[in-house]
Amino acid sequence: MSFYPEPTNIWESIEYSSLGITIAESTWMFPTIETIHVIALVTVIGTIALVDLRLIGVKGHALRVSQLAKDTLPWTWGAFALAAITGLLLFVSKASSYMINPWFLAKLAMLALAGLNMMYFHMTTWRAVDHWELDPTFPAAAKVAGWLSLVFWLVVVFCGRMIGFTLGIFF
Amino acid sequence: MGDLLFNFTEWLRNTPLNDLALSIGESAPTLWIGEHFYAIPIFQVIHILAISASFASVLMINARMLNLAGHSSLEDTTARYLRVIWWSLAVLILSGALMIIGEPIRELINAVFWVKMILFVTAVLFTIWFHKGMAKRFAGKAQASAGAKLAGVVLVVLWCMIMTGGRWIAYNPG
Repeated sequence: MSFYPEPTNIWESIEYSSLGITIAESTWMFPTIETIHVIALVTVIGTIALVDLRLIGVKGHALRVSQLAKDTLPWTWGAFALAAITGLLLFVSKASSYMINPWFLAKLAMLALAGLNMMYFHMTTWRAVDHWELDPTFPAAAKVAGWLSLVFWLVVVFCGRMIGFTLGIFF
Repeated sequence: MGDLLFNFTEWLRNTPLNDLALSIGESAPTLWIGEHFYAIPIFQVIHILAISASFASVLMINARMLNLAGHSSLEDTTARYLRVIWWSLAVLILSGALMIIGEPIRELINAVFWVKMILFVTAVLFTIWFHKGMAKRFAGKAQASAGAKLAGVVLVVLWCMIMTGGRWIAYNPG
């Protein structure tokens, strides 16, 4: 016998799925998935910030920015995949609460903006990185992309923390 | 494990730490933080960003030692990222102190918090040992010793345990 009401929308259907209920009812699953999500997100942000800081002009070393990106990108993408999977599992357990939480929606929007910024940068300025990475200062477009990325990811973290303080207070 | 943490927290309640946490809780900074909803989330964001810098730096040193990233000399890579680690540790301690002032009972009378602190001190001592010992021998070498590689992996594991502790402070039984 199910103790859960009949779903009235897609988000409730996800939340009341066997996977959603299993995670929500477990005493250890949610915190464990959340912990992996945090470790993955910390890795994503840390490795992205290393490249962003280089783009905006924080030097500190002689390493070329393209080489730095080659060193960090495998970690960034691996950790991003892990963050996405764990994020999805966390979402499934409380889908309807997340979907009415403005901080969650803002976090998704910021993730999309961070992705678009990275995509645009890689399809434009980054294509000619071999020509400008040895210059004393980087092109303005590279600096703007670096700053935008830092700001977007900072807001992603802030929204993520705010979800924890506001989940369940919106109806 | 849950029982052990519960009993540890109960024990903490009967130590002078309880009075200390209560007196901090009545101080002006704690009251100010309590009245400002965004203060704790902002401290937490700063804390998370500092961990990001530390952890990414530890990963990059490891990647170089394990030949997963080979674009810079072992000596340069270690020196560069150790500098980031020390600065971010300073921010980590400051933001952590603000979080303790903001919620003294939640942090100080919490078994998981103290487990995290023990792990954190271990990680700091381990980093000092790595910096002053292992890293000093990297000059002019292309490969890290097996001991240095092992130390690097231990640091990654320690940081993962610290982050786990950080998240589980919110779920401490007791």
